[in-house]
Amino acid sequence: MSWLLAPLAYDFMQRAMIAALAVAAVCAVIGVFVVQRGLAFLGDGLAHAAFGGIAIGLYLGASVDHAVWIAIPFTAVIALGIGYVLRRTQLRGDVATGVFFSFSFALGVLFLGLRTAQDRQVDVESLLFGNMLAVTPEVLIVVVLVAVLALVLTMLLWSRLAYAIFDPELAAISGVPVAVLEYLLLVETAVVVVVAVKTVGVVLVSSFVVIPAAIARLLVRTLARATALALVIGVAGASVGLIASFHLDTPTTATIILIHCAVFAGALAWARRRR
Amino acid sequence: MTLAQTRPDPSLAHVLDVDHVSIAIGGKTIVEDVSFWIPKGEFVCLCGPNGAGKSTLLKAIMGLLPTSAGAITIDGRVGYVPQRKGFARDFPARAVDLIVAAMRGTWPASIRAEEHERARTVLAKIGGEHLLGTPIADLSGGETQRVFLARALVTDPTLLILDEPTAGVDARGRAELLELMTGLSRSDELAAILVTHNLAAVAQTAERIMYLEAGRLLCWGLPHELLGQESLTALAFGAGDHHAQPAGEE
Repeated sequence: MSWLLAPLAYDFMQRAMIAALAVAAVCAVIGVFVVQRGLAFLGDGLAHAAFGGIAIGLYLGASVDHAVWIAIPFTAVIALGIGYVLRRTQLRGDVATGVFFSFSFALGVLFLGLRTAQDRQVDVESLLFGNMLAVTPEVLIVVVLVAVLALVLTMLLWSRLAYAIFDPELAAISGVPVAVLEYLLLVETAVVVVVAVKTVGVVLVSSFVVIPAAIARLLVRTLARATALALVIGVAGASVGLIASFHLDTPTTATIILIHCAVFAGALAWARRRR
Repeated sequence: MTLAQTRPDPSLAHVLDVDHVSIAIGGKTIVEDVSFWIPKGEFVCLCGPNGAGKSTLLKAIMGLLPTSAGAITIDGRVGYVPQRKGFARDFPARAVDLIVAAMRGTWPASIRAEEHERARTVLAKIGGEHLLGTPIADLSGGETQRVFLARALVTDPTLLILDEPTAGVDARGRAELLELMTGLSRSDELAAILVTHNLAAVAQTAERIMYLEAGRLLCWGLPHELLGQESLTALAFGAGDHHAQPAGEE
């Protein structure tokens, strides 16, 4: 056991563990609603929007850490745009997300290309794939703060959000502010994704949103249990993956996601047998 | 169109009063100067072609849309049974969750014993007690609508709004549902508005018929006054079609 937990003797591993747990927990809980709303692609789209926002920040001279503060409002606006298209047109969520995702990513590439040789060097690879082991104490504070606030907000709104996603019309008749909640969920997801991008990268963040929620959906019959199970799976997979990646010397985020995928395969087999 | 149209007795207690109501959406008038009332316990069929303004009018009655003129007054609560297509069918939920959600106005994370019992009682009343713990995704069309009916009844409404509740339900399930709804209306003195395109459903259920077209209430009378009129029947249900449509084509 001590061998297993030995990695946590290192400061960087302690920070990585806290960041992994925070990101996994908040992404899993939000993911239950995002997936149920038919917006599984949203995490991916917003992560690419975050890339656009960070690139704008870098172009304006900010460091990668500080560019997050430009990426957050940028990604939130993109999320609101997706919500507007969803509510006001006949387009499906994946189409709306796809359009905004392409726009934001293209904008990001454009602004990165506009930077001159004198500008600060940027490790684009770490931006795309993340580096959980390099989380600084400052970034960790932001990650934990955003995760806690988002979790509290989601739990406070859980009953109304769930009703609005089940049937917007019935929820509205019961006095649930459906439109406000939908926009709030999108903006909340945007903020969480931008912060998570700092640790798990643009390309892989959506896995933290989608996979635990998908596993839970296969295994349980109520949304409350799905929320609790997604949280447990997200957190357990993140902690096991982080420790395993240390011992196996494998990329951290990829190891976590592959563990989640293995659990998904098991859940799928179990769900098929149950039928 | 000049037809004999007998109104309800105005001295009876009104459950719903729609008084010169107009509704505009995006500057376009969808419902124009519509007035009617429904007395306690009356079962009304609201007919009209697609785009006539039926759903808009119902949404205004349920408080989901504002009126641009006139007033809507409801004595008591409205229970709503929607078409089956409106909800997320893959949502992880059981029938009891849906019914308790209507009781609370929010989705239940857990259900108290008294809420479970109340949901069971309401479902039992309409012959669906066995459906209580069934996942919504596993319910048949008729069973789904039975659960939605229980969901509407659990709030003790005085007026039921039934928006094409039998659309997509097979013929046997449709007949059972219609019988159930008219039975409830009679036994509980529950007023109801049934929106349907199915002439057989109108003939089976209606105590009064309203016909809406292009946002205006053209007819409002007793079934024998209106269903006998070839012109109205042809307008509302298609020329020459005096028979029930096949299952699923309502």
